[in-house]
Amino acid sequence: MAAALRPAILRHLRIPAQAQSLSVDQSAPFLSSVMNRIRSMSSHDEHLTHEEVVDRVLDVVKSYPKVDPSKVTPQVHFQKDLGLDSLDTVEIVMALEEEFKLEIPDKEADKIDSCPLAIEYISNHPMAA
Amino acid sequence: MAFTMRAVKVPPSSASLEEARHRVFDFFKLACRSLPKVMDIYNLDDVVTISQLRSSISAQIRKNAHITNPKVIDMLLLKGEEELSNIVEHAKQRHHIIGQYVVEQSGPHGEGSTKDPSTSQFLNNFYTSNYF
Repeated sequence: MAAALRPAILRHLRIPAQAQSLSVDQSAPFLSSVMNRIRSMSSHDEHLTHEEVVDRVLDVVKSYPKVDPSKVTPQVHFQKDLGLDSLDTVEIVMALEEEFKLEIPDKEADKIDSCPLAIEYISNHPMAA
Repeated sequence: MAFTMRAVKVPPSSASLEEARHRVFDFFKLACRSLPKVMDIYNLDDVVTISQLRSSISAQIRKNAHITNPKVIDMLLLKGEEELSNIVEHAKQRHHIIGQYVVEQSGPHGEGSTKDPSTSQFLNNFYTSNYF
């Protein structure tokens, strides 16, 4: 219920970007373009883009000490392609949890055993940061 | 003084190796999730990163990876949980953590980083067994 109230309240509080630019336009066109870029009360800009998720996941996997960075692609399977064992897989999932500030429940974490699954899970997670 | 008494549970007895394996992974995840708090308590930010600590925890778990008896695994998990709770409730001190989990672990008679690396081959053989 609070989730439904939130957009209604925000709509009230949200400063319409158009009105702002009109007022500042005559004096400082540079300033207005800067202010249009900073949407201070918008809650829609925090979603991660897919490329960003892929890059960060690959960085986490490459910086794992037992992994050869040249073999890491977005399609690798941790145990089959990279030669890791199950404990290493759990450790990589924990490293991903730390990187994206998530907490993945056990049932889901057990299913993540390759890069594409990890990327898909994180992209679909609403709280990934 | 944050002394958190862990609820005294019935000691776990795993029915199978698979269940013991699950317990090991659960313990490992619990330990990893408490790492930020450990870094904060003991001020380890200059000494080590969270991923290095994670690797040292997994290395210690891996040392016992060859064990197949589920009851032995349960006993080792119990010791691990006790160690984790000691660390998290600040019952240890910074030099304990650094010495046990950060420094490269050496063999039982100190061929590691702190000792002189030029100890003789004779002595190394002597330490390991009677027959050489």
